[in-house]
Amino acid sequence: MITKLIEKKIEKIAARYPDRRSALLPAFHLVQRESGGFVGHDHLIAIAKIIGVPVSEAYGVQTYYTMFRREPVGKYHLQVDTNIPAMLAGAEEIVTHLEQALGIQVGQTTPDKKFTLSTVECLASCGTCPVIQVNDRYYESMTKERTDALLASLRRDKMPDMPVETHFHTECNVLLARRGLPNATDIDVYLETGGFQGLERALQMSPAEVIAEVKASNIRGRGGAGFPAGVKWGFLAKDTGKPIYLVCNADEGEPGTFKDRQIMQYDPHLLIEGIVISGYAIEASLGFIYIRGEFAWIANILERALEQARNKGFLGKNILGSGFDFDIVVHLGAGAYVCGEETALIESLEGKRGNPRLKPPFPAVIGLYGSPTIVNNVETLASIPFIVERGAKAFMEFGEANNFGPKIFGISGHVNRPGVYEYPLGTPLATLLDAAGGVVGQLKAVIVGGLSVPILTAQEAEGLVMSYDDCLKKGTMLGSGGIMVLNETASIPKVALRAIRFYAHESCGQCTPCRQGSRTISELLAGIVAGRGTRKDIDLVLKLCDSIKGTTLCPTGEAFAVPIEAMVTKFRSEFESLVS
Amino acid sequence: MHLTIDGRVVEAVPGQTVLEAARAAGIYIPALCYHPKTGKAGRCRACVVEVEGLRGLKESCALLVKDGMVVRTDTPKVLQTRRMIVELLLSEGHHNCISCQSNADCELQEMAYHLGIERPSYLVESLPTPKDMSSGGIVRDSDKCIQCGRCVVACQHGVVNQVLSFAYRGSHAQVVCDDDQPMGESTCVQCGECVQVCPVGALVLKQPLENKIRPHETTATKVTCPYCGVGCQIDLHTKDNRYAFAMAHEGQWDRQPNKGMLCVKGRFGLDYIDSPDRLRSPLVRKKGKLEKASWDEALDVVAKGLKAIQEKHGPDAVGFFTSAKVSNEENYALQRFGRALIGTNNIDHCARL
Ligand SMILES: Cc1cc2nc3c(=O)[nH]c(=O)nc-3n(C[C@H](O)[C@H](O)[C@H](O)COP(=O)(O)O)c2cc1C
Ligand code: SF4
Ligand code: SF4
Ligand code: SF4
Ligand code: SF4
Ligand code: FES
Ligand code: FES
Repeated sequence: MITKLIEKKIEKIAARYPDRRSALLPAFHLVQRESGGFVGHDHLIAIAKIIGVPVSEAYGVQTYYTMFRREPVGKYHLQVDTNIPAMLAGAEEIVTHLEQALGIQVGQTTPDKKFTLSTVECLASCGTCPVIQVNDRYYESMTKERTDALLASLRRDKMPDMPVETHFHTECNVLLARRGLPNATDIDVYLETGGFQGLERALQMSPAEVIAEVKASNIRGRGGAGFPAGVKWGFLAKDTGKPIYLVCNADEGEPGTFKDRQIMQYDPHLLIEGIVISGYAIEASLGFIYIRGEFAWIANILERALEQARNKGFLGKNILGSGFDFDIVVHLGAGAYVCGEETALIESLEGKRGNPRLKPPFPAVIGLYGSPTIVNNVETLASIPFIVERGAKAFMEFGEANNFGPKIFGISGHVNRPGVYEYPLGTPLATLLDAAGGVVGQLKAVIVGGLSVPILTAQEAEGLVMSYDDCLKKGTMLGSGGIMVLNETASIPKVALRAIRFYAHESCGQCTPCRQGSRTISELLAGIVAGRGTRKDIDLVLKLCDSIKGTTLCPTGEAFAVPIEAMVTKFRSEFESLVS
Repeated sequence: MHLTIDGRVVEAVPGQTVLEAARAAGIYIPALCYHPKTGKAGRCRACVVEVEGLRGLKESCALLVKDGMVVRTDTPKVLQTRRMIVELLLSEGHHNCISCQSNADCELQEMAYHLGIERPSYLVESLPTPKDMSSGGIVRDSDKCIQCGRCVVACQHGVVNQVLSFAYRGSHAQVVCDDDQPMGESTCVQCGECVQVCPVGALVLKQPLENKIRPHETTATKVTCPYCGVGCQIDLHTKDNRYAFAMAHEGQWDRQPNKGMLCVKGRFGLDYIDSPDRLRSPLVRKKGKLEKASWDEALDVVAKGLKAIQEKHGPDAVGFFTSAKVSNEENYALQRFGRALIGTNNIDHCARL
């Protein structure tokens, strides 16, 4: 049974939300953590009762999210990410190595119940792949040797500290300015280095003036779609008599993307300042940071930073004496890529399955709890302090027309120094690849905006400039700015298969073309890669991709149909060499 | 207000969706997840159309009509999408119409028929899932489920029994009862609402299934439920004049008294009409044995008996319990009989239960 103490904790969490149903995911996290690593039948019923939802719906929610378990796992749950950057970094060998060392297969638990081995999707650490997540903790840049050391320590029941070398560089000193500073997550360091001056400036302006400044900066959303933030804010439904909410999208699930993490982990106050300013501008009453569940440890960093900000009067009632009341709730997801889509995110935040909603209405009109809501990406919001403090003009000194501002590019795959690089939009891809230490071997292809954008051949990528417009012109998209580099050793059919398996795993399952289309393409590509395929199968894949485009409820269908189509079309001979 | 669908000018009212306007005008647009009772869901994508001036495909089940709108339901992209939807749905489960309970009463089959699809051009291998036969009245066959979600909305928000939900995700998503219990062991009250809205053969009634009667063989007669005072409107399906099954009266979903819903009694309790145990003539007990009798003879026995009790023990020793299975007039007459002739107020009625 659930103890009174846990019940009290759930009640306390529920009180933080305008609607107690939002406490459903936190309740699952809590009970799972505190009672044996899973939530079985009895606990599920108890949770449903406390929150006040039907058992059927609670079960529907629990089974939607991969992080929630119905069965116990070993004391140490080893989760190896095997998505494409990981694959390029040798994750498959790590998995095989672990299987041998533990004497179990993926999905199994050792007889002594000490270890469970799983493979998982991208953990947003692609610059330091392969990653093994042990329970709540990340172990990055894993080699066979480091894996052995990790196992040896775990066998002695010690979660070891294993330092990682990360690569980063900033040309702009806006988003990664404090990266590398000691104690940069501390509010004192943030203040010493000029923090919260944007907020002070904003509070001297009217909300409309702040919106005007953001509009003037032409900043485009950094979450993937590149929609101008100021314009989106302008869509907010006015005078509805309902509160307005601001949601920061920290789901960071797009494979190849590990940029938002850099801000939250190393400079959390920058994000907090950006959210408070934006909240002030749109006259929001409450802000949320929806952060992917695997980032629970980064959520702790954020919580600590929020507490510091509250203590110093940057958050809470009457911020800096301005009369503006605003607070931020950190909300953990639980393993679902689609929850990065803004309406799915809202559903998830409301304690439901992360199923995207039909649009219209758009969140700016009917969003969280039926209220007007703005959803913005971490990087977008973290750019706001600079815009307000230094002015739109200063922001526009970075980049080029229609593509202004600094941008964090995450570079992974076959480069010498995979990592994060802050450069102005409009920087040539070649410059970024040089910054990342150059390509290992011969460049074969590159995916420049996260997995959901069409692949470019080495030839197509020549002369590419990393701006929204140039990417579009070259037949791809800037997306999240997650650049995955593939050299001559990469097999495109294998990459395509791994890609579609990701989408098939993540599809919410609501709509037919995505749910069953991703599964069918996945089966066809598996057959082709295994040498069981035919030429007809290749055509079928292309036919399906073409049919799926534009027919799904949310953009996820397109997010796989377009890239898979590009891989098969551009590297068709590689597919053909595998079939009869 | 007017719109043009496939070149035909069609009348519409504000607030209507393109799908509703098309259907009202007799234009066929398949719609597997939308149902007037459960509303738009946007899940199946079968209903997409193209609209002049709007980019890409639009769900006609969610798109509100605008005056002068020009809609096309027959473009290559629309037809390509419909074909893909049918092929994917057929490949997703195990569909064999030949012996399916819903053959000729299935919206997926109808859609395939319109497109001339006999079998999908690709199949995904999967093992069949056993049917859930645990419930008294309903059989669930998840291999025929197309994930439209009508049943979930109906159970959660229509009849608010909150039994059905989607669980899992992606192609593993499925409809479950409570936390994935067999229906017969779940909190399901067997109202049958989910069966009523299911477009395919994934949720079917057990009675006709066991008696090997399929919906296309039956005749529906609108009747009033004889069980309680609500007076639900029922389509009583019969074959060769014998009971087959009962559905709430189709179509008038917003009409009282039952708005197309039933309870377990109306849904499953009408099979008594053909029961061999049913009394078809009066019986009189003679020497401890019930024997067939004429109405005159039987009424004499009743009259004598009532009179004897009344004389010996007083009128309040007699009570009357009447039934919703007979008409108001008959109920009134019995009540008058009790009060005026016998002289008792001991009168009650099953509708009070
Ligand atoms: C399948 C899918 C996944 C997404 N994942 C993310 C994500 O992890 N983070 C994010 O900021 N935006 C993500 N988006 C985009 C959001 O829907 C939304 O456009 C974005 O958060 C808006 O913020 P922005 O305008 O600041 O970019 C995703 C979209 C889709 C369709
Ligand atoms: S496209 Fe995929 S993820 Fe989006 S709603 Fe449809 S099934 Fe869900
Ligand atoms: S559910 Fe419909 S399509 Fe499927 S087998 Fe039955 S009749 Fe055929
Ligand atoms: S029969 Fe009624 S209660 Fe049972 S699952 Fe169907 S709709 Fe829900
Ligand atoms: S059981 Fe029927 S109504 Fe329910 S989701 Fe499946 S096909 Fe739709
Ligand atoms: S973290 Fe390894 S693939 Fe992204
Ligand atoms: S009926 Fe419109 S999407 Fe299903």
